[in-house]
Amino acid sequence: MAVPKRKMSRASTRARRAQWKATAPALVKTIEGGKVVYSLPHRAKVVEDSAGTALYMEYKGRKVADV
Amino acid sequence: MPKPTKGPRLGGGPAHERMLLANLAAALFTHKSIKTTETKAKRLRPVAERLITFAKRGDLASRRRVLSVIRDKSVVHELFTEIAPLVAERDGGYTRITKLGFRKGDNASMVQIELVLEPVNAKPKPKADKPAKAEAPAAEEPADETGAEETGDVTEETPATEVPVEATAAPANEASIEASNEAAIDATAGTPQGAGPEGSGNQRKK
Repeated sequence: MAVPKRKMSRASTRARRAQWKATAPALVKTIEGGKVVYSLPHRAKVVEDSAGTALYMEYKGRKVADV
Repeated sequence: MPKPTKGPRLGGGPAHERMLLANLAAALFTHKSIKTTETKAKRLRPVAERLITFAKRGDLASRRRVLSVIRDKSVVHELFTEIAPLVAERDGGYTRITKLGFRKGDNASMVQIELVLEPVNAKPKPKADKPAKAEAPAAEEPADETGAEETGDVTEETPATEVPVEATAAPANEASIEASNEAAIDATAGTPQGAGPEGSGNQRKK
């Protein structure tokens, strides 16, 4: 079985780990009821009542699914 | 005829995929709308639509061909007697896929795939609008935006739970919504005029 010849240095370990980066999602900006909303494109949104309770999922004015 | 799928099969192999898609199609025809992953829904769409095409033909031979995929006779009966008449006027595109979000366990993209059972009425409208568009493109844009914003209130069968919400929020929100609509109209009406001279200027340069 092949085994590493040398101990991996802290620098190379950290250099490897530093390559894993998060990417910002591409959001779309819409104005709903006077408020600016950023959301993922082509995705159903949750409709909430005034108390913040989730009612159902909506897309293009059509009820799509229950939450 | 659907395009053959590239890449690996769903499940453990070709037979597993066939069973999986048959079961998904049966679930779709019984419940009219199911929640599944995006990958499965995209594979299911051509399978289900082909079965609906057979159902629209409606004869014994096509019924047996559907039965070779979906083994449940009650589901096939429902497909032929209830679903097929509703999509008789529709030329393809019997299913609609809407993205919902990501599943918690494995971050898989979940979608809702549903049968499009509404009556067909979309086609004649664009033909009538085409001459109008040429005359007043600027006038249409604000109308579309206000329509899109108001769809939440206008659309069918909003549940009864929403009514008190609207009633309570109405006095406070109406003024702000109207103000925002006016602002949107002003903004959209302003942009084409601003963009017009620039566009013509570019053309002259060329």
